[in-house]
Parts: sequence; structure tokens; C-alpha cells
Amino acid sequence: MKDIRIFKVTAVIAFVVAMFFGNVPSADAAEKAADNYKLYCVQCHGTAGTGKWVNAPYLAVAPRNHVSAKDMSALSDDSVFKAIKSGGPAVGKSTQMPPFGGILSDAEVSGLVKHLRAMCKCKGK
Amino acid sequence: MMKRLVFMSGLLFAVMLASPVFAADGKALVGSNKCGSCHQMSGPAVTTIAEIMKRKAPDLFYSGNKFNKEWLVGYIQAPTTIRPAGTVYLNNIKVEGDTDVVANVPKCASKLSAGDAGAVADYLMTLKEDMPTGTAKIGKFKKAKAKSFMFKGEACNACHVDPRKGGGISCPTFEGIGTRLNPDWLYSFLKNPQHWDPKVWMAKRDFEEKDLQLMVNYLSSLK
Ligand code: HEC
Ligand code: HEC
Ligand code: HEC
Repeated sequence: MKDIRIFKVTAVIAFVVAMFFGNVPSADAAEKAADNYKLYCVQCHGTAGTGKWVNAPYLAVAPRNHVSAKDMSALSDDSVFKAIKSGGPAVGKSTQMPPFGGILSDAEVSGLVKHLRAMCKCKGK
Repeated sequence: MMKRLVFMSGLLFAVMLASPVFAADGKALVGSNKCGSCHQMSGPAVTTIAEIMKRKAPDLFYSGNKFNKEWLVGYIQAPTTIRPAGTVYLNNIKVEGDTDVVANVPKCASKLSAGDAGAVADYLMTLKEDMPTGTAKIGKFKKAKAKSFMFKGEACNACHVDPRKGGGISCPTFEGIGTRLNPDWLYSFLKNPQHWDPKVWMAKRDFEEKDLQLMVNYLSSLK
């Protein structure tokens, strides 16, 4: 009986410790949304977010203008999340918008959705 | 007895110094030519965006996995541009109005003589990380299918130069890529780019085996 109690207490302690320390690496690894945008998105969407980066002339489809409130408010937060995580085809758009789910965590993708809303100064549909 | 021991160890020492002639020379030349002032010569690769922004040149600590030796020997005598917007494109753009333009892309400074280049390439080819070999199956493949998969389906040319039609410039050109790179490394990189460079700005995708082989065959054919 006592053994089981000790076991339970140890398990709870182990769980709590794991909760705290297990999270540390991923929190460390997460980058700020603005930095992720710079590294991964600027190459096609441009520093200003208007889609005028030098890769753009080679794209068959113009990258979405992220500062246009008109264009961006037509999209829901869910569909923006999906486009970033799974790529253009996931929302019926071009494959030239790549999927980033393989390298960005869901939290980082959500961070980017918020970042885009700040850029367009607009709300989702 | 003592004299003989000294003589023997002296001999052993001399042999040790002389034997890996090429490797030792190559390593010394990498040092005296300061390749390491721009290139990272030992792993691991950097893991944060802040560190990526300080990268001046591509990592060379897995050269032995990545390059074809014959290409390497030629390149370090007369380097050409592989990355049209430079190593880290973000460091070479100027914003004009709301448009980004590329400016002042730094080039590789290596200018070795033919003899030194051979020694340096020999040394660089000893720099290796864990990588399964024999994964690329080079053989017959359908070129039209490869092109349509890569340039229509996956839009690789959004970031890479397609030698026939041009393409994006934020990363290495596909021109001559088959001459440059080892097919096994190509396979490994396409399977998981972040294994080699955790903050590379190319997304990891879950390709099927047959598509990986198709891409590796097509890229290896671009000589
Ligand atoms: C290889 C070039 C490329 C990169 C890199 C890229 N995009 Fe895109 N993006 C596009 C293109 C092209 C479109 C337009 C697709 C269309 O309209 O069919 C697009 C569209 C979008 C859309 C609109 C989707 C919709 O439903 O209309 C969002 C949101 C977006 N990108 C966010 C991002 C974010 C965030 C990043 C960085 C993590 C990023 N993009 C990186 C090319 C790119
Ligand atoms: C002043 C900085 C600098 C120095 C010094 C320098 N390099 Fe480079 N090197 C670069 C840059 C920048 C590139 C990228 C060129 C490109 O992609 O267009 C590069 C590219 C390369 C590449 C191709 C790498 C790849 O992955 O595509 C090799 C190989 C190389 N250098 C070898 C050397 C060797 C060997 C030395 C020393 C003898 C050396 N470099 C010295 C800046 C430098
Ligand atoms: C969003 C931009 C982007 C897209 C889209 C993209 N790549 Fe890349 N790719 C990169 C970057 C960035 C690098 C590495 C940069 C470096 O080594 O300096 C790279 C490197 C490579 C390399 C190694 C080249 C070398 O010389 O070191 C290969 C091979 C490659 N990509 C193939 C592909 C293929 C095939 C596709 C389509 C399935 C693709 N890439 C799509 C950005 C992209």
C-alpha cells in the first residue's frame, strides 16, 4: 500500500518536472513571428509585404499583398493558418505558396497569422 | 639500447609527419588562406535566425558529403556565382519604395593555384557528417515528368533558377547542379533540408520515394 503511494507521488513529481522542463527546449526554439516572416516569407512577399521581392518576377502567380487590408480581410484566420501550414493548394491556391508545416510549429504559424493581421491592420473574414 | 629507442621513435615521428602529406597540406592551406574567416569549417550548423544573419558563406564542414571532388578542385581556383542574391539573401537587399532589389553580393575569395586546389579539395573531401550512402538510384527517368513535378507541381523555380526558363534567386541556382553535387547528398537534403541546416529557408516536404528519386535524377542530369 505504502509502496503504491510512493509510486504515485513520484509519478506526479516526475510529471510536473516533465511539464516544466520538457517545455523549455521548444520555447527556446520558437522564433519571433517577425523574424520568421523575415527569413521565410520576405523572399517572395518582400520586405514591405507587398509581394515585390526579386523572386516575384519568376512567379506565375503574384504573392498575396500582405499589407492590403482589402485582400487580407477577404481571408479568414483559419484559411491563412492553413495556407501557411499546408501551402497554397490546401486553400485552393497556387503551389507557389509553399507549405511550412514541416518546419514551423503550430504556435509559430499562429504567431505569423497575428503578425499578418498587424501588417494589414485588418481583421479576418 | 637507449640510442636505438630514440632513433626508432625519431623515425616513427618522421613517418607520422610525412604520411598524410595531402591532408596535412590541405588543412594548412585552408588555415593560411583564411577560408574559415567566411566559411564555418566545423559543425554543428547554427540554429537561430540571429546566427544565420551573421553567416558570410556556406558551411563547408560537410563538404565530403556534399560535393563532387572534380567540381570542387575547379571551383576553388576560380569561383563563380552560385547564389544570385548571395549566401543569406536578406543581407544583400535594399528596399526601394516598396520593392526589394539585390545589391553588392559578396563573392567567394578563394583563388588557389591548381596544385594547392588539389590538396585543399582532398582535405575538404575528408570533412564528413553521418549520411547513408547508396540512397540515390541514378538511372533512366522521364525528364518531362520530372520537369512537370518540380516546376509546375512543386514550384521549385519560385526560389531556384531553372536553367531553361530562369527562376527565383533567393538560393542556389540549378544550373550545373549535377556537376556540383553528390547525388546521395541531394537525396538526403531533399528528404530533410533542416538536417543539414536547421534554419535553411527551404520548407521540408514529405516526398514519396519515387518523387525523391525523380528529382535527384533530374538534378543530377543538369551538367
Ligand atoms: C516561394 C514563394 C513564397 C514564399 C516563400 C511564401 N509565399 Fe505566401 N504566397 C506565395 C504566392 C505565389 C501566393 C499567392 C497564391 C495564389 O494566389 O494562388 C501566396 C499567398 C499567401 C497567402 C494568401 C493565401 C490565400 O488564401 O490567398 C498568405 C496568407 C501567405 N502567402 C503567407 C505566407 C507566409 C506567412 C510566408 C512565410 C512563412 C509565405 N507566405 C511564404 C508565395 C510565397
Ligand atoms: C571573403 C569570404 C570568403 C573567403 C575568405 C572564402 N570564401 Fe568560399 N565562398 C564565399 C561566398 C560568399 C560563397 C558563396 C558564393 C555563391 O554561392 O555564389 C562561397 C562559396 C564557396 C564554395 C561553394 C559552397 C557551396 O555550398 O555552394 C566553396 C567550395 C568555397 N567557397 C570554398 C572556399 C575555400 C576553399 C576557401 C579558402 C581557400 C574560401 N572558400 C574562402 C566567401 C568566401
Ligand atoms: C522557399 C524557397 C525555396 C523553394 C520553394 C525550394 N527551395 Fe531548394 N533551397 C532553398 C534554399 C534557401 C536552399 C539552401 C541555400 C544555401 O545552401 O545557401 C536550397 C537548397 C536546395 C538544394 C541544394 C543546392 C545547393 O547547391 O546547395 C537543392 C538540391 C534544392 N534546394 C532543391 C529544391 C527542390 C527540388 C525544390 C522543389 C521541390 C526546392 N528546392 C524548392 C530554397 C527553396
